[in-house]
Amino acid sequence: MGAGRDERASVRAAQRGSASGIEALFRLHWPRAYRAAFLVVHDAAAAEDIAQEAFLAAVRNLDRFDRRRPFGPWLHRIVVNRAIDWTRARQLRGEAELVDAEAPADPAPLDASLLGALAALPPEHRAVIVLRHLLEYTPGEIAELLGIPRGTVNSRLRRGLDALKETV
Amino acid sequence: MRKRLEQIEIPGEHEARERSWAVVRAAFAEREPAPRRRSWKPIAAVAVALVAVAGLLSPPGRAVLDEIREVVGVEQAQPALFSLPAPGRLLVTADSGAWVVDEDGSKRLLGNYRDASWSPFGRFVVASRRNELVALTPDGEVRWTLARPDVRFPRWGGTKTDTRIAYLSAGTLRIVGGDGKGDRLLDSRPGDRAPLWRPGSAHVLIYERRDGSIRVVDVDTGAQLERKVPMTFLSQDDLRLAHDLLGPGDFAPPVRSPDGKWLAVGWPEADQLVFVRAVGGRQLRAVANVSSQFRSRSFPTISGWCCLSE
Repeated sequence: MGAGRDERASVRAAQRGSASGIEALFRLHWPRAYRAAFLVVHDAAAAEDIAQEAFLAAVRNLDRFDRRRPFGPWLHRIVVNRAIDWTRARQLRGEAELVDAEAPADPAPLDASLLGALAALPPEHRAVIVLRHLLEYTPGEIAELLGIPRGTVNSRLRRGLDALKETV
Repeated sequence: MRKRLEQIEIPGEHEARERSWAVVRAAFAEREPAPRRRSWKPIAAVAVALVAVAGLLSPPGRAVLDEIREVVGVEQAQPALFSLPAPGRLLVTADSGAWVVDEDGSKRLLGNYRDASWSPFGRFVVASRRNELVALTPDGEVRWTLARPDVRFPRWGGTKTDTRIAYLSAGTLRIVGGDGKGDRLLDSRPGDRAPLWRPGSAHVLIYERRDGSIRVVDVDTGAQLERKVPMTFLSQDDLRLAHDLLGPGDFAPPVRSPDGKWLAVGWPEADQLVFVRAVGGRQLRAVANVSSQFRSRSFPTISGWCCLSE
């Protein structure tokens, strides 16, 4: 995966301090980063935080970023891994529980069946489905992004799709 | 499949994008481009050496050390932090980040955080980066993060089943649940000082406003509870006690051990951490070379001493 010319130019401009460069990267990548996070965590506020954090990480590490590499996979790696972490951490209770926490915003009814079926999967399976079918990475690329064996990616994809087929 | 995933409507997506863009734009505007690569090792080594030498040889440092030896009989500062004198774990914030020190003296760097505090029962730590609030375990495992601009003074309070975190962000005072949810503004004009939770309460917060007034509020209702300022907020008792026990010196605010018997007192000018037994017979243990032990150019902050195992 190589970086497109426009994206490379935006990264270079941002590295030089151009606000329009970072804005171009944000406008290009935020929608899919946010959607990917949402489809894993199923919580709009958390997805907003996760996508935002990923961009803040990008801002912090901009000077070290190799602009020959594509920006998207680097951002998606952060987003999806944080989304998995968030979903696991949500199970954190006891001392960390907030009794009057705001309830997560309800997703819109549009294609609620698909959303519900996704929600029934473990977060690691959701992440693989999202990376493969929303962001269109190959299993090999997903394995690299998540730091897991390719066989694990394939088995999660297969099990995830089987579960989705049953429900949707 | 892709089309269906893209068609799922997410409520408030446009507003979320614009909120995020405002935060990212602000972070980008504040960012300092990295300097050209060069090795900091020689500079850091010289800085650490200078700090250590200055601590040992400066007249005030030497005078105070002499006085301490005379008054309480300390013989020699330990060259390293071998153990804590009381049960619990120290949380230390240095230039290198936040550290947890176990009772046996072993240290663990949690990460590059600039301020940190314990959760009420010591199961978690809340820490801040410039534009991020982070909750993590004492082993350094991040449990959740919240992106907010210019985060400072995170303080975690509450009970085992109900906790809140108060923190400053971009000149405002905000509250978030212990699970990272329900983040909201509490006061748009707080003072530049760490807020304090009433012990055992996740609802009552004591903080200073920019005009110097002190507020005691129920964070859930916003109601001001007391006009009289609780002594716990303004009291300098432990600092006074440290001065009584140690003599003159420019000490950092002490933290008390979970059993209440010891104070850990930072002594920046001597680059020492001094443990003073405040209850019962007077004892004193000093640890030298504190900055270098925490890989810090400036003297670290002792952020907390927590907690007794149950």
